Amino acid sequence: MIINVENLIKKYDGYTALDGLNFAVEHGDIFGFLGPNGAGKTTTIRILTAIIKADSGNVLIDGYDVFREPMAVKNIVNALPESNGYYEWMTAFEYLEFFSHLYEKKTSKQEIHDLLETVGLHRKEGHLIRSYSRGMKQRLGIARALINRPKLLFLDEPTNGLDPKGRRDIHDLVIDLNRKGGTTIFLSTHLLDDVERLCNRIAIINYGTIVKIGELDRMKGKGSIEEIFFLSTKEGAL
Amino acid sequence: MKTAFIMQKEIRESILTPKGFSWYVLTSVILSVLSYLFLTNSELSLLDQGQMLYMIMNFITALGILVGLVFGADAFAGEVERGTMEALFLSPVTKAEIAIGKLGAALTNWAIILAISLPYLFVVGKGGQNLLIGIAYVAILGTFLAIIFSAFSMGLSSRVKSVKNSLMVTFFIFLLAGAPIFLSAAQRRTWFGRILDFINPFACAINTFDSVVIDSQGLAYQAGRVAIICGYLLLSLWFLKRSVSRLEM
Repeated sequence: MIINVENLIKKYDGYTALDGLNFAVEHGDIFGFLGPNGAGKTTTIRILTAIIKADSGNVLIDGYDVFREPMAVKNIVNALPESNGYYEWMTAFEYLEFFSHLYEKKTSKQEIHDLLETVGLHRKEGHLIRSYSRGMKQRLGIARALINRPKLLFLDEPTNGLDPKGRRDIHDLVIDLNRKGGTTIFLSTHLLDDVERLCNRIAIINYGTIVKIGELDRMKGKGSIEEIFFLSTKEGAL
Repeated sequence: MKTAFIMQKEIRESILTPKGFSWYVLTSVILSVLSYLFLTNSELSLLDQGQMLYMIMNFITALGILVGLVFGADAFAGEVERGTMEALFLSPVTKAEIAIGKLGAALTNWAIILAISLPYLFVVGKGGQNLLIGIAYVAILGTFLAIIFSAFSMGLSSRVKSVKNSLMVTFFIFLLAGAPIFLSAAQRRTWFGRILDFINPFACAINTFDSVVIDSQGLAYQAGRVAIICGYLLLSLWFLKRSVSRLEM
């Protein structure tokens, strides 16, 4: 197991964002994490990537305790946050080079070129980020999230606001990373198309609790993913 | 080492930009005008060189404080607003390392302002008494004040997470810090003026400059005021550390 979450609770000023979350993700999965807005998806990712602390519960990432060994976790995971900002005055190359310096493991200039080639930005690596389209920025964000060659990659709504070609590019990239690179992907989204195309396992979260979890193919046997999602996230579905 | 890269990024982002560069142009222009007036204006040129040096030293220190406050106000709130903070937090860098990198960049800003000011200090104070000791005091106490106000502003920036609000509060702090300048000599001798002089680190610094440059008093006379400034220095660093450790997305 690369992720093991037990009874995770997080409250913000009395509001319970996560209410006893339990789930596990296996190595090599593309794990879809679905839920309506405000269900607790982003909070879960922030806790799992050691950005914020939970009020209680246990989280192990590849055997490391997120709360006791946050730096060890940060070295093996990375993420593309939902509203990822960029240092727009940098070029793509400079941006990746800056983040590469923040890790113990050194990344050569050639590796940065290769990474930009992986995400299809090698021809624009010397251009300022402010000249990039939204889709290009998302791909650069993924490149930044790959700078430490993570075992586990969190993508929070990575295709939000992208045109069909941009979405397709991200889909292809995620599939490549998983199949060729062996990276486990944790995909948080509310776009069911993304889930159907990419994921092998999914969990549905509502009001900070997992309401459904399992193999996508098995779930689809019980109805369309859309029906399952709406039934699970309906008020009082618990 | 990670701190050095964060500092380098901050310097590129905030200093080596047209906006950052405009501070230095402003510094040069104002110092040029002040120096020109001191040396040519029929009334101002009657001031002795110690007085002129003292006034220029006050101005440089105040400018250092202002730049530190403005820089600090954007340090964390700006990153949060622009959405770049989360990517930084995802990296294996501690919040303290980020804060030290940003503080280092703020001090670089102050160092550049001081470097720009040096020729003016020499021109205005040339031939007068206590020029070198005055420059040493402005370099040391100015650095302490730059740290105090930058650290406090950064701490605040990490708490309010809004550049606009952060700037408003820091502007208010700047007015408070500069309050002794707005009081007349008589007002400064009242109990209110004395308390303000005693608790205000900027007032402590300018009173020290006065004592050193104009009255030629030694270090022993400055101990109390320097101790207060050092106290603020420790307090501001503690405030920054505490505020940043609580910073969450």
